[in-house]
Amino acid sequence: MSDVVLALAINGLVWGLIIALIALGLSIIFGLLDIINVAHGDLFMLGTVGGLAVTVATGSFWLALAVVPVLGFLLGLVLERVVIRPTIRQAALTIVTTFGLSMMLQEAVRATYGAQPRRMAPPIEGTVPLFGIDYDVYRLAAAVFAVVALAAFFLFLQHTKLGTWIRAVRHDPETATALGIPVARICGITFALGTAMAALGGVIAAPITTVEFRTGVDILPFCFMAVVIGGLGNLQGTVAAAILLAVLEGVVTSVTNPTVARIVSLAVMSGVLLFRPHGLFAGATR
Amino acid sequence: MTARIDRLGLLLLGLVLLALPVALPMLGAAFWVDIVTEILIWSLLAASVNLLFGYVGLLSFGQALFFGFGMYGAALSVIHWDFGFWTGLLAGVVAATAMAALAGALAVRLTWHYFAIITVVFSLIFYFAAMSTKSLTGGDDGLSFPAPAVLDVAGLTVTLADPLAQYYAVLVVVAACYLVMGLVVKSPLGLNFEAVRENDRRARLIGIDVYRTRLVAFVLAGAIAGVSGALFAFFGRYASASYMFYHVSGEAVVWAIVGGAGTLLGPVFGTGLLIVFRELVSTLWENYLFAVGALTVLVVMFAPGGLAGL
Repeated sequence: MSDVVLALAINGLVWGLIIALIALGLSIIFGLLDIINVAHGDLFMLGTVGGLAVTVATGSFWLALAVVPVLGFLLGLVLERVVIRPTIRQAALTIVTTFGLSMMLQEAVRATYGAQPRRMAPPIEGTVPLFGIDYDVYRLAAAVFAVVALAAFFLFLQHTKLGTWIRAVRHDPETATALGIPVARICGITFALGTAMAALGGVIAAPITTVEFRTGVDILPFCFMAVVIGGLGNLQGTVAAAILLAVLEGVVTSVTNPTVARIVSLAVMSGVLLFRPHGLFAGATR
Repeated sequence: MTARIDRLGLLLLGLVLLALPVALPMLGAAFWVDIVTEILIWSLLAASVNLLFGYVGLLSFGQALFFGFGMYGAALSVIHWDFGFWTGLLAGVVAATAMAALAGALAVRLTWHYFAIITVVFSLIFYFAAMSTKSLTGGDDGLSFPAPAVLDVAGLTVTLADPLAQYYAVLVVVAACYLVMGLVVKSPLGLNFEAVRENDRRARLIGIDVYRTRLVAFVLAGAIAGVSGALFAFFGRYASASYMFYHVSGEAVVWAIVGGAGTLLGPVFGTGLLIVFRELVSTLWENYLFAVGALTVLVVMFAPGGLAGL
């Protein structure tokens, strides 16, 4: 019994790290552009489909892991320029444009790739003993990839010129413009970065989830929950909340079914929204 | 002047809607009677989003919750208690209104992004609950029931199985809803709505109870969404938990904003445009949803005020 709880808790942790990566993408887009990107789940879905497609075409998962996020970045640049920027002035409008975009992405994948859900063989097979249970190696590797990506992102944000510019624009776009920072370009790059992170999360998750055009629909509310519970605009909070929620769902799943676990995490979410509307970690640095 | 044009347009729209079920079969397009019925029903869901967003400034992404309660209120009362059309409709609206009062009492404490997200969360809780209580709701597969009588007077029985009776029954109910909404937004309460939308702090300073104003709007919008859900249940003789998913709420938001938020009839045009477009393209192209998504993006790009703003 306790083995089951442990396995599900670790599963939750692994998922939480992947979700953290995707939700962080959502969070930087939200924090900088103030748009609610309803298509973010579908960008994750494109990552899973792209990961599988590149792996099948080239025979190398590692190549997919490197290529798909880059393609995601380029797609993000195009989408921001064509769809987001013309409607950026009104947040309510971007919900509608990203909703339309979400329909287009899902339908494009269904038209080209088919509606059949597929599974992808993990690139590393086998299990390792972990705290007295045999645990899937690839899931551990996925957790490591996610941690490395998260760490790289925060280092990039803190220690590079581009990262500093992004933080400056988040903080005060007008002063940033006055200081000569190309704000419009930074917005485009940020959207592309968020897209790349969703795509990377997709490739990492592809071997441990089903690959189909609808996967994004399920993951989107979860990412939003992480962003809100962590506190809108609080990036570290987003990561912590994603992990917390996923582990909670994992543990609750061990005593009941996944649907009830989902209801429990949604109830927790309502509580946080109502009693700590600025997130669990209010007061933390922006 | 504009008031006269509005009234003229309204009269014209009314006449067209009254004549359609007679005119369409003559043009050999009887099939479209059902489509127009569907547009009328869905437009109410968009109107409930519009009432909250366009008039009070609260963007709800959870109207499918009240749509679902209306749907199941109607379906379950017909199945278990032999309710007819009108009583079943009432049961649906009561269920949706009660849920809206409960959810609204908590939700309207929040605004903007937080409000949008808590409405999604509430609707997801009940979506998953409805999905897992299959014995009551039928879950994803849903429940079917026979069409009840609309009219049963002196041996004359008219049921929803007759498309014309169904169309006019729906038209009467939908028109009554728009009439109520029209009266509300023109009333002092409606002015309070707009004051709260424009600046809630100033509204509070001139003595408006902002919380109560938002709650009243939320409950009214919930009731309208409930009417929509109950009518849709009767229209399809079917209720399913899948209609409570957030995608349904999202579509209603799209229809409302594409039509023009903050105008009474905008949602009818938004819903009409997208459903007619969907029906036309779906006969030509298997992946018609791609075109619907593209049209949505284009309308918002080129008509940010919606169709009503053109």
